[in-house]
Amino acid sequence: MASVELQGISKSFGAVKVIKGLNLTVEDGSFTALLGPSGCGKSTLLRMIAGLEDISEGRAIIGDRDVTHEVPAKRRVAMVFQSYALYPHLTVAQNICFSLSLAGASKAVQADKGGKVARLLQLEDLMGRRPAQLSGGQRQRVAIGRALVRDPEVFLFDEPLSNLDALLRVQMRLELAKLHAELKTTMVYVTHDQVEAMTLADKIVVLDKGIISQMGTPLDLYNKPANRFVAGFIGSPAMNFVPAEAANVAGGLQLTFAGGAVSLSSRAVSGRVEMGLRPEHVGLTGPGQGLFDGRVSVVEQLGNISYVYLDSANGPLIAEADQSVRLSVGEQVGVTFDLAHAHVFDASGGAVPAR
Amino acid sequence: MSSAEADQSRPPRRFSIGGALLTLLTILAALIWFIPIYWAVVTSLRADQATVTEFGFWPSEPTLSGYIFGITNSKLPIWYLNSTITSVSVTIIAVFTAAATGYAISQLRFPGRNLLWWIILASFMIPVPALIVNHFVIMANVDLLNSYPGIILPMLLTPVTVIVYKGFFDGLPKEFREAAVMDGASEYQLFYRVFLPMNWGVTTAMAIITFIGAWNAFLWPFLVVQSEEMMTVTVGITAVQDAFGVAYGRVLSGAVMASLPVALAYLLFQKRVTQAIALSAGIKG
Repeated sequence: MASVELQGISKSFGAVKVIKGLNLTVEDGSFTALLGPSGCGKSTLLRMIAGLEDISEGRAIIGDRDVTHEVPAKRRVAMVFQSYALYPHLTVAQNICFSLSLAGASKAVQADKGGKVARLLQLEDLMGRRPAQLSGGQRQRVAIGRALVRDPEVFLFDEPLSNLDALLRVQMRLELAKLHAELKTTMVYVTHDQVEAMTLADKIVVLDKGIISQMGTPLDLYNKPANRFVAGFIGSPAMNFVPAEAANVAGGLQLTFAGGAVSLSSRAVSGRVEMGLRPEHVGLTGPGQGLFDGRVSVVEQLGNISYVYLDSANGPLIAEADQSVRLSVGEQVGVTFDLAHAHVFDASGGAVPAR
Repeated sequence: MSSAEADQSRPPRRFSIGGALLTLLTILAALIWFIPIYWAVVTSLRADQATVTEFGFWPSEPTLSGYIFGITNSKLPIWYLNSTITSVSVTIIAVFTAAATGYAISQLRFPGRNLLWWIILASFMIPVPALIVNHFVIMANVDLLNSYPGIILPMLLTPVTVIVYKGFFDGLPKEFREAAVMDGASEYQLFYRVFLPMNWGVTTAMAIITFIGAWNAFLWPFLVVQSEEMMTVTVGITAVQDAFGVAYGRVLSGAVMASLPVALAYLLFQKRVTQAIALSAGIKG
């Protein structure tokens, strides 16, 4: 086990700078998710830790060793690829023991270490098969096995569940969580799926255009997003944003939007802002009884709860409703806000906390 | 499922004049290719006089005298050995070096890589006979005429094989390479344990057509070999003709024996040969 420390790290492809002077510490034994949309630089960052991409500027430290210029094999990290990258000409056993075989380990050592990994991942019955004869989930487990057998200090996962169907993804997510609980090895996990990041990681690093937008525990990011980008990216369905005009008045901040106004606790902001409210903090009432009215466009019934999609003068909104709420498309409803959970973002997108 | 049901589920076959014509043309084309081969085999089984007097599709008195004469009165066994040594050497060395070159150009980044690639691309546009005088002069200068290396070396130039390998290595997802690099594979291990085994099909196909090409080669061995002891089968059988005048039975029995390994290789690896032709077809144009 080891921590990973990136100090002032940058990466350029020609004139394009994809990682911009980034500082990050991944604590020893933690499960850290690098989260962000396509092209935000999260995979590049992971590949820089792995040594598959050169580091243009800055230093990478794993444990107490500076590995900035170290070759991948000597960094004591193992990586699981999105495409699994299992060698089609080798059996499961040979795939798992490939690194041992390259290093010249004896057949007995290979059988011993490979057997332990196979038992851990329940691959014992599949050891003689080739990758083409395995299901997606089995291939994924073999790919993890290949990383595991090297006994690395840090595991790197590059969107490992993206190629699996929804059901299998949930199952593998659980297996990964168990694996981390059992091994307690440092894991760095790249994903664009915020649900994966929220459920697996104890720390999430949200990346946007090559810089860290925010990092913290999943609940920190959910409850206290540092900016509009994180607020919109974390949470499913996404946060609602209502454009408003802010003015500091006696006793608080007055937010005026189309068809209504609310008062929040005092904040250092004025002018054009956006008010952010998660779907569970948007309520529905009879027409004319709320802050403003909206028209139901879609109702998604998930069983335990329903999501009601509204069109309003303040743009589209999503409200979480009780399953007992019966609404039909085209119906007019009143909208209410739970202001205790309202977020305010200034014109540049930064969150403005209450004073 | 009963047979009646099976018949119902099968789409009705319609007779098409175009299809029938195409089948007829294919059969005709096959016959045009087949008849000379059949004729050669039949003639090789005729006695010497009968080759010019008989015209039937089967010899009236089949004989192996042509074959026996060839084996006992010529150096055919030695020529066979020479052909085997040169063809096998050419196959092993040419395929291995072509695979390694294809790998280097596809996977490694080194100064002059593009230039090397363009030289290889350009070199296959030059027909071998255009280079044959140069090859001869070079081999003469290094004193390799009439020797195995002299026959083998110029035949190792197989740019098409390099192009096929590069195409295949280019097409492999980069994760295979990266996964092996993370596992600590050296460049040699990457080539030998990952890239080459993932393409055994290509390697087998390339080896077979290289072998067939090398075995059938005539012009270069004919020029570089000066003594009967160093002749390959293809060159040697022309010697039978020279020494005994036009003895069709003997000449054709030699020709049948010369083409036997190639025919055998083709029959055994038919699928691979077709694959190899398909692989290089897009390149050869």
